[in-house]
Amino acid sequence: MKQQELDGILQKAAELKVFCEYGERTVPVIDEIAAFVREISPAIEDLRAVVEVSMVNIPKAAEQLGRVTQATEQASTDILNTLDRMMATLDEVIGSVASGMISSDLGAATKKMAAIVKSLVDKSGWDEDIVKLAEAWDFHLQSMRMSGPTSNLERLLKDLQNDCTEIMLALQVQDITQQHIGAVMGTIQAVAEGLRKLTTGFFSTMADENLPPLPPLLIQPDVENVGDVERKKMVEALLSKARAGQL
Amino acid sequence: MTSMKILIVDDSITIRRIITNALKTVGFPETVEAANGRDALEKLTTTNVDFIITDWNMPEMNGLDFIKQVRANPIFSALPILMITTRGTEHDVIEALQAKVNSYIVKPFTPQELKEKIEGILKTVQVNTI
Repeated sequence: MKQQELDGILQKAAELKVFCEYGERTVPVIDEIAAFVREISPAIEDLRAVVEVSMVNIPKAAEQLGRVTQATEQASTDILNTLDRMMATLDEVIGSVASGMISSDLGAATKKMAAIVKSLVDKSGWDEDIVKLAEAWDFHLQSMRMSGPTSNLERLLKDLQNDCTEIMLALQVQDITQQHIGAVMGTIQAVAEGLRKLTTGFFSTMADENLPPLPPLLIQPDVENVGDVERKKMVEALLSKARAGQL
Repeated sequence: MTSMKILIVDDSITIRRIITNALKTVGFPETVEAANGRDALEKLTTTNVDFIITDWNMPEMNGLDFIKQVRANPIFSALPILMITTRGTEHDVIEALQAKVNSYIVKPFTPQELKEKIEGILKTVQVNTI
């Protein structure tokens, strides 16, 4: 055997020796990893089962919440329609009261009286007593319009109109809760998607294409509490800074 | 009552109705509506509008992107814009101001608040054009 061939064999033997030494160190590590995987695989299997169920239930929950949103929006629209009709009726009644006509019957009676008084004045040839009667009737009519039950009624009707406006403004809560629901769903979906990605790599018994799709995220899950006085103060402070060129 | 026409942009029918009614009670009866930013941009090309009130969170095109598009268009860039939204963090307000919104209201709002904001904006716009 030539020296060169001998050197080649010795080189290979040395490499084999290094490989075996490396194997001696790595085999225990591989054993430990295998033991770890065997230990956690039941937990992963449980988690995968939970995620599979969630992947079916979460879209259903999103759909149900969508129906809740639609129903509340429809209810709000119905309330707004009714409020519109109430406001229109109140406008009409306030107009009638302001012009002194509390009811069509009383209005008709008042007109009739005024016509009778005028006729009396004309027929009497402007008799002094009849003229005084006409003036007293006129004063009475003005008093009815300016004070007492008529003005109280007008005030009450305007209060009712303001109450209608308050109800209308309170319906803003429908939009705010819809946004909160969307934000909560977004958070749940983000968590579910993360879990799905985490567990997909371990097992492939349920293929991704068999999972129902997650509904699209309309709102990012970072909607904070809104509507409080402090929030509005903060906004106004920022706007003032912007106007002063400090932003 | 003013004849100023206001474009209301919000994906919620309820909110559009509420804003429309609130504007009527404070003296701004002329309104036109859009359900999202894209819809609103189309409305701007077909209807003469004097003022814009917009939400932020909307599908298709959100309010912030809508405002940026309006400001980038020389035909509409000077239109006064008021944002009415549930988003109320400091970051949100700054982002909206950087997009050149004129003012900002966090929902829920009152008609009086709406009136004060609109009149405040109109005053500022008049001062800036003098």
